[in-house]
Amino acid sequence: MSLIVAALGFGLVSMSIIAIAAVGFTMQFGITNMINLAYGQVMIASAYAAYALNSRGVSIWLSLLAGAVFGAVFSFILNRLVYAPFQRKGTNLIGMVIISLAVSLVIANVLLPIVGYYSVSYHLNPGPTIHAGSIALTGVQLAIIGVAVVTMLVIHALLRFTRLGKAMRATAANPTLARNCGIPTSRVIDLAWLITGALCGIAGVVAGMNSDSFSVASGSEFLIPIIAASVLGGAGHPYGAMIGAVIIGEMTEISAAIISPEYKQVAAFVALVLVMVLRPQGLLAKRGALAAAG
Amino acid sequence: MPVDTDVVALNPVAGGEPAGGPRPLLVARGVSRHFEGMHAVHDVSIDVLPGHITGLIGPNGAGKSTFLAVLAGTLPVSAGTITFDGNDITGLPAFQRARQGLVRTFQLPSEFGQLTVLENLLAAAPTNRGDSLFGALLGKRYWGADEDRLVAQARALLERFRMSPKESDYASSLSGGQKRLLEIMRALMLQPRLLLLDEPMSGVHPSIVGEIAAYCEALRDEGLTILIVEHELHMIERLGNPVIVMAQGVVIGQGTMTALRQQREIVDAYLVG
Amino acid sequence: MTYYLTTLLVYAAVDVLACLAISLQFGYSGIVNFSFIIFQAAGAYTAAVLSLPKDTANGGFQTYVLGLHLPFPVPWIGAIIVGALLAPPIGLVVLRRLRSDYQAIAMLVISVIASLMITNTPAFLDGAAGLSLVPQPLSDIFNPYSQSYLWVYAIGGIVVAAIIFVVVQRIINSPYGRSLRAMRENELAAGALGKNAVALKMTVFVVGGAIAALSGAILVGFITTWAPSTWLYPETLILFAAVIVGGRGNNYGAVLGALLVPVGFEEATRYLPPFGPPGLIPAIEWVCIGGLILGFLWFRPRGVIPERRRIFAPAKPAAVLEESGAGRH
Repeated sequence: MSLIVAALGFGLVSMSIIAIAAVGFTMQFGITNMINLAYGQVMIASAYAAYALNSRGVSIWLSLLAGAVFGAVFSFILNRLVYAPFQRKGTNLIGMVIISLAVSLVIANVLLPIVGYYSVSYHLNPGPTIHAGSIALTGVQLAIIGVAVVTMLVIHALLRFTRLGKAMRATAANPTLARNCGIPTSRVIDLAWLITGALCGIAGVVAGMNSDSFSVASGSEFLIPIIAASVLGGAGHPYGAMIGAVIIGEMTEISAAIISPEYKQVAAFVALVLVMVLRPQGLLAKRGALAAAG
Repeated sequence: MPVDTDVVALNPVAGGEPAGGPRPLLVARGVSRHFEGMHAVHDVSIDVLPGHITGLIGPNGAGKSTFLAVLAGTLPVSAGTITFDGNDITGLPAFQRARQGLVRTFQLPSEFGQLTVLENLLAAAPTNRGDSLFGALLGKRYWGADEDRLVAQARALLERFRMSPKESDYASSLSGGQKRLLEIMRALMLQPRLLLLDEPMSGVHPSIVGEIAAYCEALRDEGLTILIVEHELHMIERLGNPVIVMAQGVVIGQGTMTALRQQREIVDAYLVG
Repeated sequence: MTYYLTTLLVYAAVDVLACLAISLQFGYSGIVNFSFIIFQAAGAYTAAVLSLPKDTANGGFQTYVLGLHLPFPVPWIGAIIVGALLAPPIGLVVLRRLRSDYQAIAMLVISVIASLMITNTPAFLDGAAGLSLVPQPLSDIFNPYSQSYLWVYAIGGIVVAAIIFVVVQRIINSPYGRSLRAMRENELAAGALGKNAVALKMTVFVVGGAIAALSGAILVGFITTWAPSTWLYPETLILFAAVIVGGRGNNYGAVLGALLVPVGFEEATRYLPPFGPPGLIPAIEWVCIGGLILGFLWFRPRGVIPERRRIFAPAKPAAVLEESGAGRH
């Protein structure tokens, strides 16, 4: 029993990381109708960018910032240079999937010679371990949870209270209508990729902080829980992604505790397939926004 | 020529029998279609008589296209029954209804774009020995004769609809009106008994509208039963007998256009003369 | 030299078979089967466990089910059957009316799940280590290390590929193939014209699965080992890239793609002198494949050999007059 409670505790950290990532991922989908399968690799690239600084003595928190900036710029360029042109060309949805897979392959294999095959870890002080019953979390892990909370609040504020946020929601709902109402949709999309790219970068770095070590191969491992959380909450809905992250975060940790650690991944994968096939609009969304359209 | 004004005999609310006359080819009773609490079609009952062109009109959002989709099997019913030539087809999927002779066209262009015009027609033909995995594996010697026969049949149709020069063009390269004619020809390859046309005049150049109407009349004279969902009122005036009016998911009247124009509720519902 | 050439030929045959199956499913019928690699793996594993002796043999260093030590061609037939049987359950996922990119991702994830499950269940197919020392076809009669055996195997593989090529050609050039293409273009309209889309898709799925499984059996019979690392999801991507490059919707394109991408690429870099850190060359290969995909999708999405337009011979006057009953206007 205490194992499960401990797992619940770890689940808090998992869900935090997944939440940051999933919100970014789902917003990319909502605003540009693009399932960005290279997201995991951008996360890893940002994690390595942070590592580049951190391994030279820069504090982990400044490195986190650097990772966020890297992720933002990288994602922005990715959309401008690859995704948007192909979409403008009228490439169909399957084509875009293949394209993002190809991009993911390219990123991974450009990184590999640069950073090598061996896994690396951040230089950071894990801080004191706090105990609450069977739950045991280090200072860093608590900090990660804190980062997630802050990030969620910032996104919430962005979407509810700023003009940009409203423009994003309008563009996500109906791009043509938004454009006709005078919203500069391409600018909105650019900014959206910068912001979601930053989320991607942050998520990559904190994921690295939470792991003993990470390598280029970790990129695809991250991707599946993120897609699962996004789809569970209804793809394109940031708040749904947060809830999806909670579910997936807890589910993966608990199944790792109950069944076995190898099955941690399998649980997320099976969840993803089940949701995509049985309830593609997500557990929360009302309308069949995504069924049988393409 | 088919009978004119007497056809108002059907009262959809009472679900009555035709006042002596041919047995209806298609019967819908109490058909409803709703999803997420909204009633797109509610308790609609109609009879479609053989050899007539029945019009189905109504303002936007009246549920006409949904009802047509339910008749064709593209959408399932939420309640009610549909009978075709005496057989209950309520549970049948669209492709089986088509095989029984109930064929629909679509409002949005639905040509097979990367196939040629001739191939579009051939694809529709139901009785080709080569149209099964087994037949395909046996090779051209097995299905060659069927194919030749169907090619000739398709070419005859193209000839009739004056589209022979387009035979080897990709269907996606056709104009809106030509695509519409292609869909009708395609449906005819199945030798249907009832043709459901979903807004055949929409998106079509006005000069082609008269052409399509003429083809519909000619087909009816040859014995084909047609149900047209349409917006273009004066086409329905020319073709439709009887005409059924829907609004907000229910049938609000039935009869000839002249008779319908007399009824206040219908004019009001439509807000069009 | 013999070993190199025969290996090349066998891989070419296997890749051609795989690309033909994908072309049939994806190019012709519009089915996006991103879990394709599962079928090839299933065929290989089946052929392996049917031809291997019981797992206690050879010192019992690997654990697996069955181990029936059956003679050729039974393992290959078994592989084809398993590939066909695996199609309906997986096909049920494909056949749901789902947004196409969702479907693709769900299929991809299924193949990853399968790989993980096998890796984590060592008792089934020896987990991550995989199966090795798989007996080669007819190896108790002929010496599998002799040059003539290798050549016969390679030529045999090419012959099988040629036979399947003819089979798939027949399918796609027939009225049945036309129905498949119609379904690909507009499934709803095809249904309204009497085509049973579900039956069509499932049939294509089964046929494609059987061909894929056969390709796996041929490959495992030659290289005598098979492990999860042989069939990771990027393999599916390479095959799809091959079909896109070669040309969708036609078999010649599939063959060309198979020769250009999986075979050509692997072989082209073989002759480069090793330079840079280890692992640099494979990394460059992958970057090139990624770039190839992007390049072709941008500049030539139809591929090198696009789907050809079908033109029918003009009617002989006599035939037209006979059939003229349909219309006079």
